[in-house]
Amino acid sequence: MAFQNSKESRCSTFGQRCNAGLLQGVGLAAAALALLVAAVPMAAAQETIRIGAPLALTGGLADEGMKQQLVYRMWAEKVNAAGGIEVNGRSHQVEIVEYDYQSDGPRAGQLAERLATRDRVHLIMAPFGSGHTVIAGTVGERYRVPTVACVAGAESVFSTGNRYLFGTISPNGNITETVVQYLVDSYPDLRRVAILGRDDVFPKSMAESTAESAKAAGLEVVYNALYSVGTMDHSSSMTSIRRAEPDWIYITGYSQDLILARRQMEDLGLTAPVVTMVTGPAMKEFTEGLGGLANGVTSSTWWHHSATYEGLGVWPTTASFYEDFLAASGGEDPDYVHGACGGALSMLEEVLPRAGSLDGEAIRDALAETSIETFYGPIDIGENGMNQARDLPIIQVQNGSVVVLYPEVIATGSLQILEE
Amino acid sequence: MDIGQILVNGLVLGALYACLAVGFSLVWGVLNVINMLHGSFIVLGGYLTFFAWHSFGIHPLVSLPFVALLLFGIGYLVQYLFVNKVVTAPVLTTLTLTFGLDMILYNIMTVFFSATPRRVTLDLGTLSFFGITMPVDRLFGMALALALTGLLYYVMRKSRIGRAIVAVRMDRAAATLMGIRVNHIYAITFGVGALMAGAAGAIFAMVFPITTNLTGMYIGKAFVVCVIGGLGSVPGALVGGLALGLIESISGHFFGPQHSLTVGFLVMLFILLVKPTGLVGKRGYE
Repeated sequence: MAFQNSKESRCSTFGQRCNAGLLQGVGLAAAALALLVAAVPMAAAQETIRIGAPLALTGGLADEGMKQQLVYRMWAEKVNAAGGIEVNGRSHQVEIVEYDYQSDGPRAGQLAERLATRDRVHLIMAPFGSGHTVIAGTVGERYRVPTVACVAGAESVFSTGNRYLFGTISPNGNITETVVQYLVDSYPDLRRVAILGRDDVFPKSMAESTAESAKAAGLEVVYNALYSVGTMDHSSSMTSIRRAEPDWIYITGYSQDLILARRQMEDLGLTAPVVTMVTGPAMKEFTEGLGGLANGVTSSTWWHHSATYEGLGVWPTTASFYEDFLAASGGEDPDYVHGACGGALSMLEEVLPRAGSLDGEAIRDALAETSIETFYGPIDIGENGMNQARDLPIIQVQNGSVVVLYPEVIATGSLQILEE
Repeated sequence: MDIGQILVNGLVLGALYACLAVGFSLVWGVLNVINMLHGSFIVLGGYLTFFAWHSFGIHPLVSLPFVALLLFGIGYLVQYLFVNKVVTAPVLTTLTLTFGLDMILYNIMTVFFSATPRRVTLDLGTLSFFGITMPVDRLFGMALALALTGLLYYVMRKSRIGRAIVAVRMDRAAATLMGIRVNHIYAITFGVGALMAGAAGAIFAMVFPITTNLTGMYIGKAFVVCVIGGLGSVPGALVGGLALGLIESISGHFFGPQHSLTVGFLVMLFILLVKPTGLVGKRGYE
């Protein structure tokens, strides 16, 4: 009735002779045609699973963004060549929709919004790091687009109640407890630990978590401080740590912080039987930047290519991923960023068929119930959306190469104590 | 002996800060241009030094003069081709221009060099005296930074071109009447600022990891040094740099490393309030 009233009113306004029946018929036909036209590309679009990827391809995080991009492209190519992913009985090709957010957090948010609203992606792969993941994850939640983070380790990112955010990296606590226990078992004289953390989301969280795990294991925390983002010199921290005479020095930060810190330890004659840097040796730029000084530094990591996990989909074993990666990278070894992002995509090969639909809510529900094995290791999504898997690798640089110390099943060496 | 160690750490760091800031201060003081490119010039100098060492085995001391001269040329051209067009415009205009140019240079460097931290490793060992340990490469960097800053001071005071720069800084109109080609002096000054940035980058490559991530950090330090020491003069940058190095080192030890930067900025704010010209700056350059 409202439609008719509106039509009558329009006819009388323009003083035209209206044939209501004809107009109605034309209108319905036009509407049907419009629906048909709209339905054709929609049906075609649904043949493709669109995955949004805001990437830091330029700016300060460019190295990390390019690592993500390389793995995303490897995976999409491999999956599409294998016939795609079957969802609800139909095979779908995958498409990665990439944008460069220039290492700028707010821009990552804007591009995530564009991916959700204009590109209508079915999933978003979060940008690098915990800080930028929070931004993209918030956008994903707003538009009910599930967001998968493959390089966000801070638990605080997942404790905001965002139901659409999932992470394949395990909580920091799982890592720090494992490291403390391993070192206490391997080096019984370990008593005093000095902790220096970068005052930033992930590194700070790791430093705090290590202090708690160390205290819980009965170790004495003799120095515990944070350094600001933008610190160009660690001399005063190193001087204070030297006076505290720790058995174990634990430092968190990004590669340039850790290279500087390790160098200044050497410069100021600061040594300890055990030196751990997170994520230092897990990144090849750390060992390249330090040369011989990297030797003996231990670290915890989420993945190492010498692991021997059984997986699924296009990468059924760690070795198969490693082989593909070497071919794609021209012989460069992958690090944990490559592994974690590849693992997250492998997870989708299991999640999407199980979701049975490309609806955001269905994918979200399927992600929340994930408990699988991948080439990256087990992925067991917990209540907060994070991977709850434990027993993550502990590594050490020995003679310029990274060896795995733990877990025993994939260990390639044993802990070397640094000479004082 | 901790306090001795902390003071020496602060002085060494301060000398590097002075070298970092002196070119920035000169350009700001003479041209009234806040050169946002300065941080990228330092990083570019560092990368060129690193690649000369890494790829061709050229010692940083040998490459330093060439890197500095190359940066002088780049700086001169940037000023002559771009900044000169708007040099008399309000400071916000020139700031925006150099900010835009900085974004271009920053991203070009990221594409060509990647953001991976790199460092020249000389392994010159350490020196110990009275319980104080100092790495020789840092002491070497400090000596070089002081020498370069001193050389710039000498050039500014004794050379014809230096006196022309000082004259333009003091009174542009009078300098023009005296026959000084002001636009040329502006370009020379900008070039000298870039030269000092390139030299600082070469020294920094021996001491700190070089990565494009650091450009903003260098600019931040240069700002603080200029405000503390005073704009537009070599002694101002030296005093500001040494003061900031000592402040960060001492406060980092006593209040914790996460507060060292905060204390530096608080001191800067305090000086802005009580002595806007900076510790050794002259009235008219606040």
